[in-house]
Amino acid sequence: MRLPRLYAKKRGHRRTGAREWGAFGDGLFHGILLAAGLFFGALLLSGVAAPEWRINHEFRESRGTVLAKGLARTTVVDPTGTVLSSWRPCLLLRYSVDETVQESWSHGPASQNTSDRAAALRRLAAWTLGAETICWYDPAAPQTVVLQRGYNWWLWLLSLLLPGALVLIGGSGLVRGLRAWGRSEEYRASSAGLSEMLDPLAQPALAAPGYPAVPVWDDLVNSPGTLLRYRLPIESPENWTLVGFGLFALLWNAVVVVLAVGAGLDLLGGRIDWWLFALLVPFLGVGIGGIVLFVRSLVFATAIGPTQLEISDHPLIPGRRYDVLLAQGGTGTFQTLTLTLELEEQATFRQGTDTRTEHLVVWKQPVAGFRDVTVAADARLENRASIEIPANAMHSFTSAHNTVRWRLVVRGSPTRWPAFCRTFPVVVFPPEAPVTSRPAAVVATHDGSGSAELSP
Amino acid sequence: MNKPSERAPVMPRIDVQFDGPHRQYEPGDRLGVEYRIEGCDGEPIRAIEHSVLWYTEGKGEEDLGVHFFRRTTDRSMMPPTKKTGAFSTALPLSPLTYEGVIVKVRWCVRVRLFFDASRDFVSEHVFVIGRIPPARLPPSRT
Repeated sequence: MRLPRLYAKKRGHRRTGAREWGAFGDGLFHGILLAAGLFFGALLLSGVAAPEWRINHEFRESRGTVLAKGLARTTVVDPTGTVLSSWRPCLLLRYSVDETVQESWSHGPASQNTSDRAAALRRLAAWTLGAETICWYDPAAPQTVVLQRGYNWWLWLLSLLLPGALVLIGGSGLVRGLRAWGRSEEYRASSAGLSEMLDPLAQPALAAPGYPAVPVWDDLVNSPGTLLRYRLPIESPENWTLVGFGLFALLWNAVVVVLAVGAGLDLLGGRIDWWLFALLVPFLGVGIGGIVLFVRSLVFATAIGPTQLEISDHPLIPGRRYDVLLAQGGTGTFQTLTLTLELEEQATFRQGTDTRTEHLVVWKQPVAGFRDVTVAADARLENRASIEIPANAMHSFTSAHNTVRWRLVVRGSPTRWPAFCRTFPVVVFPPEAPVTSRPAAVVATHDGSGSAELSP
Repeated sequence: MNKPSERAPVMPRIDVQFDGPHRQYEPGDRLGVEYRIEGCDGEPIRAIEHSVLWYTEGKGEEDLGVHFFRRTTDRSMMPPTKKTGAFSTALPLSPLTYEGVIVKVRWCVRVRLFFDASRDFVSEHVFVIGRIPPARLPPSRT
């Protein structure tokens, strides 16, 4: 028997993996997740949830007399050799079971254990020898008696959430694999619906109505301009850098605060944990560095004034001309300030376990440019220019991993601040395509008897 | 005599004829295709799939969009009873064929045969929608 090859045909710059091995690995991975979810789910249900459910539904009520009391100790040795003990108050009860008298030590769930022996003793002191109390015993094993009923919701949540997530991920992956088994990629691609639900991340971006693979432009035309029809939204890489630095500084310093509080409490208690202090010093250094980077980025983002771009119409059609208005606010001098129209290709691919995205500008045209221009607080720079999309230009295109996008880019070099780049995406339609028209019906048929077509 | 499972798998040949000159179409045009299946040598076919689709090629993962799909399981419509077939569809307004640098968009017709012996054979025939010239890198990059 010949095994399937590890690599299949070559597409472009890459060699694609063999579908059979990919499906096998995918099925194995999701099968293991599903099995692990079912195993841990069964373990938690039988070990935690089921006993608790039985106590609340099947145990019978009785009245018992407290004959003796004591602390039950549970000792656990962890993998590092540390011995951990926990205590639980328990009572020796005399109670009646179907007209016979039973004496037994009370049981209780492990969640009632406490590592604080003094607290367990205090709880034990609340019981008086000879006192009567309500208890519940197991009719199947009358020597098993408990003093408390009820549910530990966090245990139920834990027993549902963790195995539930594994079962959901593994099960949906397996269903997806089984649905794809023996079907062509065309069949799978044409029968959307459940596959979108099972694998939402692999679905392409929303397309413009009637124009498959052309991105929607609703978000680009919801701001009216002051002089031209629309004000284009900005897409600034610096803003994402700022958000990234801010999140890093916040999360890192939260960890530093937790460590510092622990160290402070130790100091107040007269103890010094040198390891904790040694860890705290470099953590504090990185935390301060994160704050400095965030503040620096914030100053850069706000010190250079806002850039606005307005356009006379949108979406754009190849072969037509459009007016654009560039407005640069703020104060100071710009050594250079340029506006360019660019076409960028973007490809997302997997390299090992990483997902990488490559960007490449394949066409660009200068629209406006300035040298040594000064901007004042009461007089922003305004420049009106026109752009033309070439008549035979590629339209905007978007799919799950590949994009062709048009954009207007403002690049500036202020004298007192680092250079910046602000991007304004635009959507370009296919050449001379009437915007209001609709394409012919897309047809996907699966007939078992012949060649009938179904039209939506 | 060899048993069927020990025979070398047959290599069918599918000839496709487009109704457009040079396989060149404009957005919204009607695409008509006739095909002929040869070389099945009596190996039973259980289904034929016809599709018109676009796919991406280049540096990114391959994406696929199916515009037209039809699956036929009626054995009277396939070899050895019937070796020819035809289908047609109105093409969409996008995406257009694009020969980019790291992203390429291709349109094709695929005819896929599913044999009783749990294997399939696909024949792909590329055509062009629109007249977008190939992308070239700006002079600063070359």
